[in-house]
Amino acid sequence: MSEPLIRVEGIAKKFTGRDGTSTTVFENLYFGIEPGEFVCLIGHSGCGKTTILNVLSGLEQASSGYVFVGGREVSGPSLDRAVIFQSHALMPWLTVMGNISFAVSSRWPEWSDAKVREHAQKYIDLVNLTGSEKKRPAELSGGMKQRVGIARALSIQPKMLLMDEPFSALDALTRGVLQEEVLRICAETRQTVFMITHDVDEAILLADKIILMTNGPQAKIAEVVVNTMPRSRTRHDLHKHPHYYRIRNHLIDFLVDRSKLFAAVSAEFDPRHPPLVSPGLDPAEATVLDPSRPQGGGVTPLAAVR
Amino acid sequence: MTSLRNWRAPALSMVVFLLMIGIWHALTLPKAAPPAADSEYAALVGAAAASGQKSAFPSPADVGAKIWQHLQEPFYDRGPNDKGIGIQLAFSIARVLTGYLLAALVAIPVGFLIGMSPTVYRALDPYIQVLKPISPLAWMPLALFTLKDSSISAIFVIFICSLWPMLINTAFGVASVRKEWLNVARTLEVGPLRTAFRVILPAAAPTIMTGMRISIGIAWLVIVAAEMLVGGTGIGYFVWNEWNNLSITNILTAILAIGLVGMLLDLLLARLTRLVTFPE
Amino acid sequence: MSAFKDPFNPGVKLGCGCGRHSDQAAHDADLATQTSDTEALGNRVVEAAVMRALFPHDATRRRFLNAVGASTAMAAVSTFFPMGMAKDVFAQTGPLEKSSIKVGFIPITCATPIIMSQPMGFYGRQGLNVDVVKTAGWAVIRDKTLNKEYDAAHMLSPMPIAISLGIGANAMPYTVPAIENINGQAITLSIKHKDKRDPKSWKGFKFAVPFDYSMHNYLLRYYLAEHGLDPDKDVQIRSVPPPEMVANLRADNIDGFLAPDPVNQRAVFDGVGFIHTLTKELWEGHPCCAFAASREFVTKMPNTYRALLKAIMEATAYAAKPENRKQIAEAIAPANYLNQPVTVIEQVLTGTYADGLGNVKKDANRIDFDPFPWHSFAIWIMSQMKRWGQLKGDVDYAKVAREVFLATDAARLMREVGMKPPTTTTKKFLVMGKEFDPAKPEAYIQSFAIKRV
Repeated sequence: MSEPLIRVEGIAKKFTGRDGTSTTVFENLYFGIEPGEFVCLIGHSGCGKTTILNVLSGLEQASSGYVFVGGREVSGPSLDRAVIFQSHALMPWLTVMGNISFAVSSRWPEWSDAKVREHAQKYIDLVNLTGSEKKRPAELSGGMKQRVGIARALSIQPKMLLMDEPFSALDALTRGVLQEEVLRICAETRQTVFMITHDVDEAILLADKIILMTNGPQAKIAEVVVNTMPRSRTRHDLHKHPHYYRIRNHLIDFLVDRSKLFAAVSAEFDPRHPPLVSPGLDPAEATVLDPSRPQGGGVTPLAAVR
Repeated sequence: MTSLRNWRAPALSMVVFLLMIGIWHALTLPKAAPPAADSEYAALVGAAAASGQKSAFPSPADVGAKIWQHLQEPFYDRGPNDKGIGIQLAFSIARVLTGYLLAALVAIPVGFLIGMSPTVYRALDPYIQVLKPISPLAWMPLALFTLKDSSISAIFVIFICSLWPMLINTAFGVASVRKEWLNVARTLEVGPLRTAFRVILPAAAPTIMTGMRISIGIAWLVIVAAEMLVGGTGIGYFVWNEWNNLSITNILTAILAIGLVGMLLDLLLARLTRLVTFPE
Repeated sequence: MSAFKDPFNPGVKLGCGCGRHSDQAAHDADLATQTSDTEALGNRVVEAAVMRALFPHDATRRRFLNAVGASTAMAAVSTFFPMGMAKDVFAQTGPLEKSSIKVGFIPITCATPIIMSQPMGFYGRQGLNVDVVKTAGWAVIRDKTLNKEYDAAHMLSPMPIAISLGIGANAMPYTVPAIENINGQAITLSIKHKDKRDPKSWKGFKFAVPFDYSMHNYLLRYYLAEHGLDPDKDVQIRSVPPPEMVANLRADNIDGFLAPDPVNQRAVFDGVGFIHTLTKELWEGHPCCAFAASREFVTKMPNTYRALLKAIMEATAYAAKPENRKQIAEAIAPANYLNQPVTVIEQVLTGTYADGLGNVKKDANRIDFDPFPWHSFAIWIMSQMKRWGQLKGDVDYAKVAREVFLATDAARLMREVGMKPPTTTTKKFLVMGKEFDPAKPEAYIQSFAIKRV
């Protein structure tokens, strides 16, 4: 097995409250992301999704465990990992061009202004914001702001992109358009992405793998769902694919019921190797995805718990 | 219809102005006075005193004539104690700006430090809380005693009174810079200095400018009192010198000038604040 | 020189006004040729003045000199008085150490010699370029002089004594090389009190004086106490800067004040008050304001100090002549100086004035100018400081008077400008008919019924 681009080993986050009691938000998280892979993480509020993303980006320290990127341990934020924030986090005093140029000139301080602008312009074009370069964030719609956030993140040509519920604040229509944009851009750039979402359809549309978190506290990775649909999927034909409903049902089923019951997980559960499932496949055509473990399409070890 | 509405406020302003002038005029109309008893005596005292009355408050026409006289010759210089109102205003403005800019040079970096470090904030907070409410003029005797120079003392008083609003606002502005902007800078591996100038400063600029606007207002209020106290030059000295002469017309002229300059300073700062303010 | 009234010569006879000549003609002739033997004369003058200061009574001095001999006396005196220093000040007339100087003043007619020297060129004649700077109040003028922003200043004559003694300020050796003016103050009452001319009816009045350490304060207290009113219990006395007095009188915040002119005359001019009495009626020839400089300035810049003092002396001599007063009034009335109507200043200086009750009064000595800093003035001031509790404990009246009031320098320069300085530094005088003997200040204090000691 090749070394993944990012490898998470047993990270946990604990908080000590005012009264001295310690709360574990999540613990024993193990997963990896291969280069070019699009991974989504789904879970209910309170399972520490944003914290996981912050630990991956280096903005926060885990209480224990390690994160390796390209074989090196993460010790802080890096230009290798660009973050797209839920609130887009644009600097309101800068124009669209200014926001992106700020990132570009941070990545390549030796570049001339002209070169910085030229490079920034490429990414403005990429996210279809050509013509809005001189606008300030306040003059942009929510969708346009997040496009700037995406362009800013991509402009530094990171090894991977970390997205924290990037479309949650947008209306459904805009969200759809942007999801397709992201899909298109990732296809074009072969970008490695880790994205947090609570939107099942978004995950199915975008992700190659979907990590399912149980509820906090002491949240864990319950399983990793493989999206078996072809990568060329679009919003329009997504639901026409036979795998779609199976995957969707599996995810909703998890979110509605199983995520709560995971506390009663059996002793055989190994957090180092959360089960890898492919609910999209017809049980008949199920393939063994992980040779080390017996796998059945649509069948999970957790089913026994129910 | 809209053009009519646009004129309403200025027209009302004008009516209020005319009304005030009218009342003032009516109140200061010369009273019919008995003729002076003795022409030799009358020659030695003021017109009002000659007819057994106290000298009267000047009428609007008197003040208008005085203002016109000052406008004719705002920059005359007849020795160290008698200079035109324009020169006096320039002295005051120069003092205010010197003290104010020095205060900005201290308050903004220190405010930055306080805003960025909760430890420094907690360490310095008691001092700021104690020093802030002290009337700037209370510093004057201390300044005269230690600095041994009255014009430096006046500048020091301006410095000390402009310091606190700027310091507190800078600290507050810096402390409340949105964490996500700082996170953006961190993920872009931006150095501390570049973060300070490119992220924190512009983010805190509107708050800092608000502090600076409060400061310039206070500084202008204080300079008049400070100059009345130490004398020499400046519009405050002008007021004192004319009080000495019991010249109410000159004092009213000076009051008007003080108000106008104060308004202009505030407008200037408001304009600058608008330049650095960003809509969110 | 033979006729020089040398106090070391026990057998000297009285001569001209200045005491150095056998008659007035010799005096005038000597003035003309004086520069030739200035130095020798200077030494003698300084020593003579010191001797006089130490032994104010001629008889005592003569007996002392006869007993020990002149040179022994000089040596003995030198051990406790820095004769060398005092002589140095006048020994040389070298180049000015500093030609641009600043002198602070308060805009009142007491400052007349200091102010008029500027527009009328008395400073310029001594090669000095003097800025006379108007100052807002006595405390400020004190601080600015202590800070050396001003090289010399117009002060109330008790102030240098208070500063030297460390009362109300940090102690710093201060000097009065010349008195600015004598007389020139008045008690002014609000016009509403025009029927209350008897001080006994003033119980509960609020009075203003320019400063705690002022002749005005001491004279007002003296006046009230002589009329049976306790100035601390029966009335209120507040310290108010002169420019604010008329405004306060007008606003009924005070019932009257004992103030320097032009404040009194201005109150009349504006119909706000009337002049109850001139202070010359209390004490004819009392001092008011002083020309003051730090001892440091006197010793470090002797030539500048000398030139400055000479200008002041000349101006004082000029102002002492009644025929010059109208011209002076016009010179000092503009905004740059007193900032008052010319007629107000003219009434003060000429003594033909409106009293605020419809009468025109004439009193040529309403204000007069005599620069000689009598040591007895200083002693009287200290006696009042002690009487009213400002000064506590024992004080060496004669020593302080000698150190602060530089009678020697004044006498010498007065002679140079053609004035006639007195031959002694102390004299007895009457204040409201009661004699003051500078030799017995403690007994004087004890003789009052109303006092704080």
